Amino acid sequence: MSEPQVTVDPELCIGSGDCVRLLPAAFRIAESLGVSVPQPGAHSADRGLLLRARSNCPTHAIEILDADGEPVPDAEGGR
Amino acid sequence: MSEAGHDEGVLTEFTDTILFDRYADIRAALFDLNLSRSFDKRPYDHGNIRDGVVSITHGATHRARRRVENTQFRAEVLRLYERELFPPVMNDLLDVLVDRERVDLFQIGETLSVVLAARRAGIDHDGSLEALRALVHHVDVLSQGSAILDAKDPEAVRTLVRQTYAELEHDFMGPSRVARQALIARSRGGGLPLEELPQDIHTVLLLHAEDPSLALDDGRIVREVATYLQGGTHTSAQTLVNCFDLIFARDDRAAIVERITADLLFAQRVVLETLRLRPTTPKMKRRAEVDTEIAGVRIPKDAQVVLDITSGNRDPKLFGDRPDEFDPDRTIDSNVARWGLSFGAGAHQCPGRSVGGGFPVPDSFEVADDHVYGLVALELRAVAQRGIGPDPDASPERDLRTERFTRWLRYPVRFSARVSA
Repeated sequence: MSEPQVTVDPELCIGSGDCVRLLPAAFRIAESLGVSVPQPGAHSADRGLLLRARSNCPTHAIEILDADGEPVPDAEGGR
Repeated sequence: MSEAGHDEGVLTEFTDTILFDRYADIRAALFDLNLSRSFDKRPYDHGNIRDGVVSITHGATHRARRRVENTQFRAEVLRLYERELFPPVMNDLLDVLVDRERVDLFQIGETLSVVLAARRAGIDHDGSLEALRALVHHVDVLSQGSAILDAKDPEAVRTLVRQTYAELEHDFMGPSRVARQALIARSRGGGLPLEELPQDIHTVLLLHAEDPSLALDDGRIVREVATYLQGGTHTSAQTLVNCFDLIFARDDRAAIVERITADLLFAQRVVLETLRLRPTTPKMKRRAEVDTEIAGVRIPKDAQVVLDITSGNRDPKLFGDRPDEFDPDRTIDSNVARWGLSFGAGAHQCPGRSVGGGFPVPDSFEVADDHVYGLVALELRAVAQRGIGPDPDASPERDLRTERFTRWLRYPVRFSARVSA
């Protein structure tokens, strides 16, 4: 399985930090902007946790795209 | 009063009322940015007591406000409060509050929680019981205001809330603002490092008061800070009482209280299980800003959408065969929060969720050293360690000023020990 591209839409993010708490190696809050920013290694983070971060992002600001630029589907059992 | 479809005034008539009571549908509704919490479009001076507060604002203003305010809910700030600031304050205060055999648990919960909430909000006080009781009184009024959609006499509530804002401003907020503005001026002049400014909502709002994206003015800052005071106090106090109300109804209550005293993670699970069964807002209400569709249901503009959190939180597919039962040890899919939807979800998810409820509990019930348990779990354990039990000679009293069944006015209890935690 190829590694996905992880993005955070800065226009949507409210800086709740939920993604940072779940995956501190993959996301960081840029305090000057108050929004989450994916870290260089985010694409290699645990796929299940990435999907959970996307699912739980309060404003759906996180996107996870496959090699074709299509959204990676939710895993079974995800909420 | 305006009629349905108006973009000004109080919306009291709706194009439709749609109820969602399934977990997945409620969650979808909470994430839908086309639904807002704003039922009153009037400015404050025309009667909207919640004009401009973050929990009601919508869209760009809401996002901008949360980006600034969420800095006060970062993990390192939560750990500082939970590990260093709160325990000594809590234990000293409990020693004073549990000074008689029979006391009111709700009053204890409010007083404990208001100390922390005031600090996080940025409301200075002299620490006296008199000052704390005054703040608790203001919280009680503001709590009626926050539940105005369920109030039995909304106009009476509006009058009370306006009076409380004025008293808060005069007695607490005004002096707190002057002190912070002086520090901010010093910092901007190079005399004080930015990181040494008070870490609270009041300070960050004053720091960004001129930012037009936040849509702030003096009155809105007062109401915003008061919102955090209320939110930080009321839910914690009510949840503390609801925890013991659920425990006292059980035959094994003594064993549960004993486990709480010995196991803080169990105490946290008790809090989260209580929040699931007794959500602070049992029915959340939203208004459709535009035509939208949720879970296959078409929702017209200005429809009222009622989200039955109590029902959604008892979905047997997510919470097991006996979802109505109080079971802090229940097994839950790791993708589902133990508190269900009680903190909301989506953009308006309660910002204080981790303050009161802590970080999510892993399936393994094993947590890292830096886990945050939540302040209510700390309160629960501290109260349990003092030998709490029901008062057989006095009955608890529910708050009947609201339709919300999870709210208490008084909860008499007895304490058998006065040992410091």
